Amino acid sequence: MKDKKRVITRRDFMRGTIGVTLGASILGVKWPTGEAKAAVSSLVTIVRDKNAMDSSKNVNSTILEKMLEQTLIKVTGRKNPKDAWLSLVKPNEVIGLVPTNHLNPTHDEVVDVVKRSLMDAGIPKDKIGLAQGGPSNPKKCDSLIALPALKAHWLTGIGTVLKNYIMYSGSPSSYHQSNSAKLGEIWNLSFVRGKTKLVLVDSLFPLCDKGPQADPRYQWPYHGLIAGTDPVAVETVCLNIINEKRNAIRGEPWPLSPPPICVEAADKVYGLGTSRMENIKIEHDGWEHELLL
Amino acid sequence: MNAAKLNLPKTVGVWTRPDSIRLINSKNIFEYMNGAGELYLGYRFHHLEVFDYASDSQDSILVELYFMETTGDAFGLLSLDWGGEPVSLDGSSASTSNKLFTSPTRALYGGGLLRLWSDHVYARVMAERETPASKEAVLALGRAIAAGAKNPPEPQLIKILPLKIGSAWNMRIDRLSFFRSHLVLNSIYYLSHENILDLDLSAEAVIAPYEHISNAGDPKRSQFLLVQYENLDRARKALNHFHDAYLPEYKKNITADSAAKSSSLFKLEDGWLAYKLLGKYIFIVFECPDQESAGAIIQKNESNLLKKEGNHER
Repeated sequence: MKDKKRVITRRDFMRGTIGVTLGASILGVKWPTGEAKAAVSSLVTIVRDKNAMDSSKNVNSTILEKMLEQTLIKVTGRKNPKDAWLSLVKPNEVIGLVPTNHLNPTHDEVVDVVKRSLMDAGIPKDKIGLAQGGPSNPKKCDSLIALPALKAHWLTGIGTVLKNYIMYSGSPSSYHQSNSAKLGEIWNLSFVRGKTKLVLVDSLFPLCDKGPQADPRYQWPYHGLIAGTDPVAVETVCLNIINEKRNAIRGEPWPLSPPPICVEAADKVYGLGTSRMENIKIEHDGWEHELLL
Repeated sequence: MNAAKLNLPKTVGVWTRPDSIRLINSKNIFEYMNGAGELYLGYRFHHLEVFDYASDSQDSILVELYFMETTGDAFGLLSLDWGGEPVSLDGSSASTSNKLFTSPTRALYGGGLLRLWSDHVYARVMAERETPASKEAVLALGRAIAAGAKNPPEPQLIKILPLKIGSAWNMRIDRLSFFRSHLVLNSIYYLSHENILDLDLSAEAVIAPYEHISNAGDPKRSQFLLVQYENLDRARKALNHFHDAYLPEYKKNITADSAAKSSSLFKLEDGWLAYKLLGKYIFIVFECPDQESAGAIIQKNESNLLKKEGNHER
């Protein structure tokens, strides 16, 4: 048996040995154990407004703009959105906005308010562009603003933050199934690493089941923006919300299947942030209904 | 079979479709649904026809007709989620619950989306925005898709599973799924990211939980999996592969005459697992509270299979 490749199975999750097996099989690295890494505290903000969308799912851009302003101030601790943006990006930088364009795509209104807000902060219009797609897109940018939408995914469990850069790999199908554990490595590619200044998740109308096509029964009006500068912490909070919603729908535990192994790997192997809820400070503002945390 | 034979109306309510059809096959399905084509290719997929019904006053309605190689594959796609409101498309009374497959649910509606199984076709009809008028149009399109179609029975394999085992175990028929691919299995019940059961399009598999309603608290739930392979040799190899990957610390004893022996039983982290090889079939039950339950679930399914095989032969 010693010569055989270790295979990740359900039992690894039950035994808590998923990291060791992942390390030995797919990732080819030793999985850090215990408390080897210093605990990191990351801030994740959730700003919600009951009226961000109407019953026909039309987005109220005025309300969305205010939600964004609150988000920026909370994430950066600055006094206004302009100072907030200028603490994250520089006016002479080329800034790429990275929305999701399939399976519960990012609302156009979210992309628009971010763009307008950046321009109001003094970033020239011609320095702001869309950067979703192949590797050439991040290569053109100095800074990236990740704008995924909150959703589950049938091949990777969750398909929100970490998966948002899958096209940057130039080989997206290489990151499905067990290889979804490696999604974090895309964020460490030389032309991606360190460029993400803000992760802002469109949580207006999330999708809590996995697709591959959206089923409206599993979408619900959360009316939120979830944000932070730590992509793993933001993903962890998103995962929590999706799991809570799934359990609420069925009235019993309804775990994501397959399990989203990319989140812990992004923390422990790729050092992109923290996946431990106890190390995440959540600041919430606005609508309290079904916060799901 | 194609949409022309299904006689989709040009106009339904205020919605009209173009004359041209968007035709998707196994080569371009990934372009159509952005990498998620694996679900459909995990079944015996033939092609997909897509229609956009547009209206000046309402959001559009998307019709997707998945033409499958077998009626079982179309059933399998519907079986991945029995949620939603059962609807009748042929005037007969719709099953209001999925208690029995004798009155099969062939169409389910919820939130603007109608999913239906009609002969070799699995269809999704979705209104971008649900309104009373769009629901009426979606159901009318569903009736047009199902009109005149044969209503073949569900795959034989699912009929092997007993609805009850003893007085304690009830099958959750609303969680029963038919599939052929390990990716689909993982989306229902995660076993491994690798294909440790050697599933492929030549195999047929059904999974369903059995629930034990006890007097005390939450019901205990065990997952039962039945796979039919092309032949005994493939089944034996698959069970060997499964054992090596899932139970590496346990000695295995899989022989050609396993049919004559009792199940192999293993105490794992989440309860008892039992498996059995019977000809070209593999039975596996997971998460049983004790070995007696594990053995009983396998044994009852095995006797059902033998009974049905015997009937078939006669």
